[in-house]
Amino acid sequence: MNIAAFPFLLPFLTAILLLIWRNPSDLRRNFILASVIGQNILAGWLIYEIFTTSKPIVLAIGGWTPPLGIVLVVDLLAAIMLALSSLMLLGCVLFRYVSVSSSIEHPLREPLVQFLVAGINLTFITGDLFNLFVAFEIMLIASYALLTLEADDWDVKQAFPYLSINLVGSALFLIAVGFAYGIFGTLNIADIANTALSMQDDPRVTYLGLMLAVVFGIKAGLFPLYFWLPNSYPILPASLGALYSGMLTKVGVYVLLRTFTTMLPESLSGVHLLLAWMAGFTMIFGVLGAISRNFVRGILSYHILSQIGYMVLAIGLFTERAIAACIFYIIHHIIVKATLFLIGGAITCLNGTDNLKKTGGLWAVAPVLGVCFLIQAMSLAGIPPLSGFWGKYLIFVEAVIKGQTVGGYYYFLVAAAVLAGILTLYSMLKIWNEAFWKPAQPGHEPRLDDKRWVGMTAVISFFCVISLAIGLGAEGVFQVADKAASMAMDQDMYIQAVLSARGKGVAPSP
Amino acid sequence: MVLETAILIGLLFSVATFLILQKSFVRILFGFIILSNAANLFVLSMSGSPDGKDGPVVLSDQPMVDPLPQALVLTAIVIGFGVTAYLVILLYRIFLDHKTTNIDELYAEDLFNEAGAEQVNFEIEPANAREAKEGGS
Repeated sequence: MNIAAFPFLLPFLTAILLLIWRNPSDLRRNFILASVIGQNILAGWLIYEIFTTSKPIVLAIGGWTPPLGIVLVVDLLAAIMLALSSLMLLGCVLFRYVSVSSSIEHPLREPLVQFLVAGINLTFITGDLFNLFVAFEIMLIASYALLTLEADDWDVKQAFPYLSINLVGSALFLIAVGFAYGIFGTLNIADIANTALSMQDDPRVTYLGLMLAVVFGIKAGLFPLYFWLPNSYPILPASLGALYSGMLTKVGVYVLLRTFTTMLPESLSGVHLLLAWMAGFTMIFGVLGAISRNFVRGILSYHILSQIGYMVLAIGLFTERAIAACIFYIIHHIIVKATLFLIGGAITCLNGTDNLKKTGGLWAVAPVLGVCFLIQAMSLAGIPPLSGFWGKYLIFVEAVIKGQTVGGYYYFLVAAAVLAGILTLYSMLKIWNEAFWKPAQPGHEPRLDDKRWVGMTAVISFFCVISLAIGLGAEGVFQVADKAASMAMDQDMYIQAVLSARGKGVAPSP
Repeated sequence: MVLETAILIGLLFSVATFLILQKSFVRILFGFIILSNAANLFVLSMSGSPDGKDGPVVLSDQPMVDPLPQALVLTAIVIGFGVTAYLVILLYRIFLDHKTTNIDELYAEDLFNEAGAEQVNFEIEPANAREAKEGGS
């Protein structure tokens, strides 16, 4: 049986069922939890299967033989991303269960989260550019709805910039899709890669690359295009903030990886260089923005940007090791960033606010939470032997090698990355000092009678352990990332795997 | 036919850009509608010049225009329609909350700074705010 469609179908069918089963109850929650655990098992099995066979799983939908119909392709990179999105979904669902009782839950929130994850998963597994557009729209429409569900007038106002920038992004994406069809006469990613091999020097391919870089740069939050992000993410509840900050911008990074490694030819070095410089500026401006904020969610939202910079810098370097480092960094970053957002939620629960002027006194009452925060914050800043260090280290090494072989200007990017790491440490220490070490502020003493924080700390510790395991077992994780990178960059293997797939019927004549 | 379509697409894009950069909500809304239509027309134009070709409806001896962009544009129109409906409701809600349709007035007083952060509901989940108001049901 071909299971390539299931990572999309499971959350999608769950969402539809939840729309029918409207009333929130504990039974409904258990059902959702079962579905989410099923998604995690499926994603884990996909990684194992593809890692051992080294072959992508291809499904030609409706029996249309590629390149005519829509294909779903799960290669190792896609399987890793699927595992991460299901893991984040698990964290989001568990965190909400411990923080909100089912009697006051909005009936639409759970189905919308499932639709969001269905869209994200479809983005990962699709092998067709227009289907990618549709997946983006499923994801975005669910994210609009979640952003404004139960929102007050202030929240709605902050959601408007998010909506408008994404509308422009969608229109540009649609144009890029039309443009790709005009150039290549096909929208199948494998077929485009196949055709583009013989069009290496065509300026239209470069133009398409630039357009896609802008479109996905908006989604990922790259330097001149990121202004929608830092103000819209803080309006989300903590559990959803973790899911959004973990997955939504990383979808942009994933699609950049997919288009520039698998789809477009390697000769677009100009576009790669542009991406690297955009990444350098993103790191610096993102971390400076984080320093300027004084509430936890605001600081963390800006840190998403500076960390995106590292990943896109790795894509811009465009060597196989750099792509592997990028995948490693994505794995590390999604878990660490989501955990930090959850810790922000726990701080808010304990202190009643996450404004750093009013928080304080948490180390005395919640040392486990403090240790978790310290581990994740140090990991984000890149202190060895935590997971963030290995990703950063590999990216630095690749950038220095580029600096020695290609041009000295790569050293500026290395310097920017080091500076961003140090400033990250600074702003993380700010949260540490203000929320954990400072004595409790009058009127905002930790509310220990509210027992929700115990469950929250349990969920946070779970992710903390995963993050520690990534850091201490970096060798094993990096081998998986390395294999995913070599599979993503091996265009011939991808083209061969997709175009040799057969539907049920005979191949239709062209 | 190709040249006229190209000019029309360019015109629509420039009008849309102009409208989106205005200060009034209503104009921004119209700008987005025109923008999505311009993008749809662009995709449609990728099926090439229809001169001397049949529509891809029934088999005939004549060559047919490429049907794929037409299939794509149908999907894109539906998606654009859904998003526009959402945008209309969102803007109406903002208008009801703030009694203004001017972007400058709406975002004038509060950038998301310290003062802005204070205004945010700091509860864990919005639902908890309701619980607090109702005295913990």
